[in-house]
Amino acid sequence: MAPSLRTLYVRPNSQSDKSSIPSQQPIGKHSSLLENMSPMKLCVPGERLCGVEDCIPGTGTYLRHGHIFASLAGYVLRKNEGEELPVISVVKETEAQLLPDVGAIVTCKVTSINPRFAKVHILYVGSTPLKDRFRGTIRREDVRATEKDKVETYKSFRPGDIVLAKVISLGDVQSNYLLTTAENELGVVVAHSEAGVQMVPISWCEMQCPRTHAKEFRKVARVQPEYLQA
Amino acid sequence: MPVDHRRIRGPDESFSPRLFLPSGSAKCAAAEDRRSGDGARGNMDVRAIFARCGLVSQAKGSAYIEAGNTKVICSVYGPRETERRDETEMKRGKLLADVRLAPFSCRKRGQWIQGTEEKDLSQFLLESLRPGVLLQKYPRSQIEVCVMVLENDGAFLAHAVTCASLALADAGIEMYDVVMGCAARRSGDAVLLDPTFAEEHDEHPSPSGKESRLTLALMPAMNQVSGLQAEGEMDAESLVEAARACMEGCYKLYPVVQQTLLKSVRKKAPPPES
Amino acid sequence: MAAGFKTAEPLEYHRSFLKENCRPDGRELGEFRATTLNIGSILTAEGSALVKIGNTTVICGIKTELASPTVDGPTKGYVVPNVELPSLCSSRFRSGPPGEQAQAASQFIADVIESSEVIQTEDLCVEKGKLCWVLYCDIVCLDYDGNLLDACIIALLAALKNTQLPEVMINSETEQPVVDLEKKRPLKVHRHPVGSSFAVFDKTILIVDPTAEEESLSTGLMTVVMDEEGRMCCLHKPGGTALSGEKLQDCVSRAVARHTEVRKLIDKVLESMKMDT
Repeated sequence: MAPSLRTLYVRPNSQSDKSSIPSQQPIGKHSSLLENMSPMKLCVPGERLCGVEDCIPGTGTYLRHGHIFASLAGYVLRKNEGEELPVISVVKETEAQLLPDVGAIVTCKVTSINPRFAKVHILYVGSTPLKDRFRGTIRREDVRATEKDKVETYKSFRPGDIVLAKVISLGDVQSNYLLTTAENELGVVVAHSEAGVQMVPISWCEMQCPRTHAKEFRKVARVQPEYLQA
Repeated sequence: MPVDHRRIRGPDESFSPRLFLPSGSAKCAAAEDRRSGDGARGNMDVRAIFARCGLVSQAKGSAYIEAGNTKVICSVYGPRETERRDETEMKRGKLLADVRLAPFSCRKRGQWIQGTEEKDLSQFLLESLRPGVLLQKYPRSQIEVCVMVLENDGAFLAHAVTCASLALADAGIEMYDVVMGCAARRSGDAVLLDPTFAEEHDEHPSPSGKESRLTLALMPAMNQVSGLQAEGEMDAESLVEAARACMEGCYKLYPVVQQTLLKSVRKKAPPPES
Repeated sequence: MAAGFKTAEPLEYHRSFLKENCRPDGRELGEFRATTLNIGSILTAEGSALVKIGNTTVICGIKTELASPTVDGPTKGYVVPNVELPSLCSSRFRSGPPGEQAQAASQFIADVIESSEVIQTEDLCVEKGKLCWVLYCDIVCLDYDGNLLDACIIALLAALKNTQLPEVMINSETEQPVVDLEKKRPLKVHRHPVGSSFAVFDKTILIVDPTAEEESLSTGLMTVVMDEEGRMCCLHKPGGTALSGEKLQDCVSRAVARHTEVRKLIDKVLESMKMDT
């Protein structure tokens, strides 16, 4: 037996398969190996999917010389969305990697506060968790829509709060993602009181500790059902 | 020689036992043809590879390749926030590559301190992979590729390229094409594809005295070469010949790489409902 | 829902499981993750072993070299262990010189080697005052999901048991050593230290074999190293919550049981290797 680490790298549930010596068949751009038993077509990056006259390129694809190619390894999906041509896209796992984009609703955790802005870590884009943390900034003027000059960041957020916010800009060289909470649905969704108990919102700008009944100021979000999971 | 205070230090000087072999015992490797011990592998055959995706639980994507006794593992992290920023990185993502040789991976023990050799290897890997990645999709972010060579039995850099591109695809990083690596050694007029360590370090050079090595990175679906590194003496014609041989080698391994990726996609998730 | 809770409130998430005497990965509090072992796969090393505890993967390769012994110990060789946590194994580590955790782990392994007398450095002597062996034991983490130290000790022990030293003679005329790679003898492993790691949650709850997440949320960590005669070779408790003697006794008995399990695993793998050849 040749010394090999492969025994450890085969997950118990996967069938033991031999390493295949590459078949000596002539190499074409589409090897027949790809058109296999699976009812749904799979592809690898660089595989040509179709021409632009057949489909509209969707996620996980790119255009080159009038053809649509796959940029991900995954399942090929064709969807008719009322247009003349179906949209072709490549899907990997259940959710693709997302980066925060302008207009996206993100869930973040407040890390620090000063009179001009609050710094946050972005944890979720929509309902997709980010594997790596991205930092964002909520400036004082972006906390709420009215009476912007009267905003006090300390009365809006505290470190550790979970906040729903919207991306307004990817920021420039110095700054991080710029976020806003200036909508009724945006703001603090989870906060802990000084006693360490999760507080209950009592108005758009106050939350109360159920144990000590102390009130604390926050920019409270009117939570919408679809964001409840965060 | 800088003293490393962060590691447990041994004696100031130590020597590989191979330095003290009785003279004349060094075995002759065949100069121009594959040794009979290597089975039926012809000069233009590549070693069968074993490849798997997704074994490092902490990484976004990872891959492991075994070609003969050469063993390479790679993991990919990111896209995550760039650490240092300058104007150019705002619109495109930044790719970083780090190649390390484990100290026990070579016949002679290596040092942990990263030498210039490892920096050169990292640079080659980076330049070979970069044309394959859609970096414009990852503004403000960096993607890190870390490779560890566990055992070097020849052509490890070429296999590191293949391994890294498998790990990138496993991580769901968008790519124009996978990138494949293949190496060749030219000794006199003979070309040995995917050489073993013994073949790479043949102590009995051919009578013509022309020794050279070549590592090539290829994007097989686009049929474009993204990296090429040659060392030693070679004329233009033989360089082209050796490069062609490497490209053939890549195409031979391509189906295995495709299968590895498809297998990992299937294992991770069932087909989505359309 | 669960995923959101886990990311936003990891500590609460873990507590909710511990309340029910189980853990997010389905284990009981005193249960180790599946441990697998592969010995002798790196041909460029004189001895090697790859260990997986759950996701945590560690590989140890041993290179042997010749050197002159120190003046203090003319009959002693060297054992030089180093633990490396490359950027490959987790996003928490950066490439470059070893960080605090890697340095601490290297020192811990060195302490275990010395106090357990797993190798008697006298065995490494070739000629008194002139020549001895150096064993470079490089341990590389390939996947960091907690409980690094247990994995390192198993990898080191299995790799040492796999190590072969070539025969060396000193040529009386030239005074130069002559090495015969054909004739090899196995290294003598005198003791078999095995570690068991524990994490303390909320000052009272004790769990074994913590994952990376459990390690970072816990209030204290501890590693107990036992040998085959039930003697404690090393106890590593870097700060954290104070523990009662009673709890400590629990840990020790768990560590004794763990020693038997690991010993069996190593013997089984070595046995199956003999069958193959």
